[in-house]
Amino acid sequence: MSTPGSPVTLDLHDIQGNIVKAYSRYDYSHARYVLFEITDGQAGRGFIATLAERVTTSAPWGRGSTEERPESTLNVALTFAGLRMLGLPQASLLTFSPEFATGMRGRGAILGDDGPSGPERWDPVWRKPHRIHVLITINGVSRDAIETAYAFVTDITGRYRAGVRCLTGHRDPEGRNDMPYQAASAIEIDGKPTPKEHFGYTDGIGNPYFKGTGEHPENVLGGGKVTRRDATTRAGWEPLETGEFLLGYKDEAQEFPEAPMPPLLGRNGTYMVYRKLHQNVGSFNRYLDAVGTEYPGGKEALAAKFAGRWRNGAPVTTFPTEAEAEAFAQQWMAAKLKIQQTPKGPAREEAKAAFAQLNAKFVAFDYSKDLPGAGCPVGAHIRRTNPRGSLEFGEAFAFDTRGALTNRRRILRRGLPYGSVVDPQDDTGEHGIVFMALGANIRRQFEFVQQQWVNYGNDFRLGNDRDPIIGNHGTTPEGKGDGRMTIEAEPGGGRPPFLCGGMPRFVETRGGEYFFVPSITALRLIGEGMVDPT
Amino acid sequence: MPNEAGRAYGLTALCPIKHGAEAPQPGKPARSFAARTRDLLQDLNEAAESPMACVPNTYLCRFLVLDNVAYQGDPAKLDRLRSSYLVFVADLHAGKKSEEGLRRYLEGMWEHAEPTVRSLWEHCVGFDTVSSSDAFVRYVKRCQVENTLYFNGSTDEPLAEQLKNLYLKQEFSRFAFEHQGKKGAELQAAFGQFLTRTRPHDLSGPTWKPGARTLDDAVIDPNPPPQYLRSVPTGASR
Repeated sequence: MSTPGSPVTLDLHDIQGNIVKAYSRYDYSHARYVLFEITDGQAGRGFIATLAERVTTSAPWGRGSTEERPESTLNVALTFAGLRMLGLPQASLLTFSPEFATGMRGRGAILGDDGPSGPERWDPVWRKPHRIHVLITINGVSRDAIETAYAFVTDITGRYRAGVRCLTGHRDPEGRNDMPYQAASAIEIDGKPTPKEHFGYTDGIGNPYFKGTGEHPENVLGGGKVTRRDATTRAGWEPLETGEFLLGYKDEAQEFPEAPMPPLLGRNGTYMVYRKLHQNVGSFNRYLDAVGTEYPGGKEALAAKFAGRWRNGAPVTTFPTEAEAEAFAQQWMAAKLKIQQTPKGPAREEAKAAFAQLNAKFVAFDYSKDLPGAGCPVGAHIRRTNPRGSLEFGEAFAFDTRGALTNRRRILRRGLPYGSVVDPQDDTGEHGIVFMALGANIRRQFEFVQQQWVNYGNDFRLGNDRDPIIGNHGTTPEGKGDGRMTIEAEPGGGRPPFLCGGMPRFVETRGGEYFFVPSITALRLIGEGMVDPT
Repeated sequence: MPNEAGRAYGLTALCPIKHGAEAPQPGKPARSFAARTRDLLQDLNEAAESPMACVPNTYLCRFLVLDNVAYQGDPAKLDRLRSSYLVFVADLHAGKKSEEGLRRYLEGMWEHAEPTVRSLWEHCVGFDTVSSSDAFVRYVKRCQVENTLYFNGSTDEPLAEQLKNLYLKQEFSRFAFEHQGKKGAELQAAFGQFLTRTRPHDLSGPTWKPGARTLDDAVIDPNPPPQYLRSVPTGASR
C-alpha cells in the first residue's frame, strides 16, 4: 500500500489502452464502436477470453520502449447486463456501483436526457439496453487499419456465434439505421485530421493528469489539481490521485474507491460513460450569426465566451481578444514547425522546450485573476466543467485547497466526432461526437458534472442557467429556446454585461450506456469464469 | 439563543397523537389516528397550493408524523416513544422580539389557515380544548422543543420584503434581457415605466405570490395600476 506522497507505479501492461494515454495523441484518427449481445454464457466467456489476448494495453510505445505503436487498437468494455450474462457470481455483481447497474437510460432524469434527448430519439441499437452487453472499440491510424481490425473482430464473433451476436441499429450518414457499428473519425481539413469538433472548436485540450502517468511530467500543468501557487508554473499544480481514474488505488479522499469484489476484478479497471451526442450545427450557427451581430465583440468572440476558449483553442481568460488568440496560434504553429526544421541535437531540444512552454499556455491557467468572469464568463463551458479552483470565489482558504470542490469531479475525456456537416445551416443529418468519460465513480464525477454544473448553475451563483453549449435548454410556450447566459463585464469598466437569451438546445443525446472497463487480468478472470468473490 | 437566527425563528413542535383508531365506517377499514394524520399530510402533497402559503411570514414549514426514533450506530437502537407525534417545523420571520413574533405568527396561522390546523391537529392529545387563537398559541408552545442548532437558509427580512425582492429580481432580469443595447434616453424612459409598473417600494404589490414557483404564475397586485401602464413584457421567462 502506498503512503501519501509516494510515487505510484502502475502495471501499464495490465491496464487497457486509452485510459492512461489518450489514443488521440497517437494519430488514431479513426474509430469503430461495435456492440454485442451475449446469449450464451459459455460462448460469451470464450469470446472475452479470446479478446483478452488481443486487447491493447497502456504500455508505452516507441522511443525507449520495446513495443511499437500498432496500426490499430482494440479494447473491450462490459455493461452490467453483460457481466450477468457472462456468469459473474451474484455476490460480485452486487458490488458494482448502483448507477452502473442501473445504466444510462435509467439515470436519464439525472443526466437531463429529456425532450429531444429522450431515449425514443436514440439510435435503435441503444433503445434496448438489456441486450447491450459488450462494447468493442477499435481505433486506427487509417481506414484500412480499421477494416483489418474489424475483420478480425468479425472473425472471432463468428467463432463464438453460438452465443455472441453483433448488434445492429446504429444510424449512419447515409440514413441507414441498421448499421452493425458506429463509425467515428477526426474532422479532416485539407485532407488532414484535426482536433476540431463540428461547432468548429478545437476539442480535447485539457485532460486530467494523475499519479503513475509519469511519462510526461510537464503534463501536470493544467492537468493536475491546482495548488495555491501560480497556475502558469509547475508549482501551481500537483498530480491528481490515481484512484480518481483507476480502481484499486488511493483517491483524492485518501481512500480506496468503492470497487467490485474480488479486488482483482476491479484493480486497474475503471468505469466509462459512452454518449452519442448529436450537434445541432444549424441552430448553433444561426444563433451565433444573430446574437453575434448584437454582441460588441462580434460572432467569434461570442463563440469564445460560450466555450471559454477561442475556436483555435486559446483560453479566453489568458487571451482576451481575437487578435491575441490569433497571434498566439501563429507563434505556436511557428514553434512547432521549428522543431521539424531543426536538426537533431541541442538546438532541437531548445526548440522543443520553447514549444512546450507555448503549448502549456493552452492549459496552464486558472481563474484567480478572473474571478468576476470578465475574461472567461463564469458560465462558460470549460469553466463549468472544470472550475480550476474558482469555486473558492476568491475567499482564500475557504477550503483546504482551492480545488477541493473540483478535484473529485474530474473526468478523462476520450472519443471522436462522427459524421460530417453537409450544410452548416442544417440541424438534421448525422454529425456529432461520440463522447466517452472515464473515471472511478460515474455518480460522483460524470453525473455530478452533468447534473449540477452543466444543467444547473447554482454552484456558480448563476441560478438556473445551464451550460450554453451542451446544456439541455428547454422550450418556452412560444416555441423559443429558454437557455440563457450572462457574459460578465469588467467590474467598474463602464460596460454592462451582455445577456444571451433564447438559446435552443444545441446538443442532443442519441444513445449511450455505462460500461466497466476491466483490466487485462479481470478480462481473463471473466473469460475463464474464475471470478470468485469469496 | 436557541430557536433564533437574527430575526428569523425556527419553531419545532412535537404534538402527541392519541393512541387508538377512528370508529370503523361501514365498508371502510378503520385507520389509527397516527395513520389518519399521515394520510392528511400526504393529501397535502397533492394540493395545488400549500394551505400554509397564506400564513404571513412563513419562510418554509414542514409537517411529519414521527413514530419511533432509530439510532444508527453500534449498537443500533430504537427509541420507543410513548406515542406518535405530529411534528410541525417552521422557519418564520419573528422580528427582534422573538417570542412576541412567534405568538403573532401562530395567531396568523389560526386566522388564515384554521380549517387546515383543525384537521391536522384533530387527533392530537388535548387539542379538543383548542377553540381560539390564544388557545392554539398556548397549545403549540406547550409542545415546543428547543431548537439549539438552528440554521436559517434565507435572509431574516419579513416575508413581504423577501417576496418583493424575488419579484423585483425576476422582473429586473426580464427587463435587462428585453432592453439590452438600448441607449440613454430610451433606456431611461423604459426604466421609468418599469419603476412605475413594479413599484419597488410598495410591498403590497405587485409582488410574488407566496408559494408560487415561476414569474408567470406568481405576480399578484391587489392595487393594479391603470391599464395604460400595464405593458407586461413577453420573452425570457425564467
